[in-house]
Amino acid sequence: MIGIFMLALAGLTSVGAYLLGARRLGLPPARLGAAVGKTLETVGAVLIFLVANLVVAVPLVVALRAVTGTFVSVYVTDDTAWLGLSLLQGLAFQWWREASRKKAGALALEERGNLG
Amino acid sequence: MSLDRVCRLTGLGGVALFFATAFTPLAHALTLWMAVEPQLVPSDAIVVLGATVSPSGILSSESTRRTDHAIDLYHRGLAPRLILLGGARDSGAIEAEIRAKLARLHSIPADAILTESRARTTREEAARVRDLARSRGIRTVLLVTNSGHMARARPLFERAGFEVHPAPSDTYFEPTAPEARLMLMRGLLQEVLGWIYYRIAGYA
Repeated sequence: MIGIFMLALAGLTSVGAYLLGARRLGLPPARLGAAVGKTLETVGAVLIFLVANLVVAVPLVVALRAVTGTFVSVYVTDDTAWLGLSLLQGLAFQWWREASRKKAGALALEERGNLG
Repeated sequence: MSLDRVCRLTGLGGVALFFATAFTPLAHALTLWMAVEPQLVPSDAIVVLGATVSPSGILSSESTRRTDHAIDLYHRGLAPRLILLGGARDSGAIEAEIRAKLARLHSIPADAILTESRARTTREEAARVRDLARSRGIRTVLLVTNSGHMARARPLFERAGFEVHPAPSDTYFEPTAPEARLMLMRGLLQEVLGWIYYRIAGYA
């Protein structure tokens, strides 16, 4: 019941955001698919960072135990904060790539203009 | 495959898993699938694996569930001894001692209770219980933990020389709230990853 309520509410606000974007802000509806694709890419980048962080953490914990002689629990990997950190890493990485693409695109346009 | 495509497919998988976990009974179905069949037969001791306790001495729900289940098994006459495990977090209260107090409150005689609080991992728990049990002639144990953890713990206790009878403490309560379902899936993933880690490290 809670799940249905949440999904319905999120659906409602999404429709509201679509109408606002399409009618008031003049966003082209045809670009919505590309936006969803970009969202999935970003989520994917976040998940890849999350897995990478956890995969690196385990041998590091084992190495720390061996080097320092103090006990560090592998349960250090079981912390919600990893998700927050990975979110920041994933977002920064994706925006870095996006900014580089825009820069490359702008340079290409400039070059074409110079040639013309 | 381009990085964009890898990210997009990973994202699609993540979003699909999120929706399937939060808004369907997937996590509960997986819990039932992973459930270990209890073997509640008379044994030499009931071994209750550690979970967590707050520094002020409040047992986590998992720790309480395991302890309650073990107390029930004891009162059903399945074993004459209770071995309670669990250390302290941040030099606070000791889980095994809090559990022992709880057991005594439930009319279990103090001389039937053994505690062990130095073990920090499941592997260490198996080794410490072996040391405790050796001089007391304990060979068969009812192992109390949740089903997900049992897959990792059972082989360790068998390697330590015990005949293990699983006594899972699961309640199989089906959560309906998305957050509770996500937490259940998180617990399942944690146990699966723990099992993989133990396999790679050669512990289980």
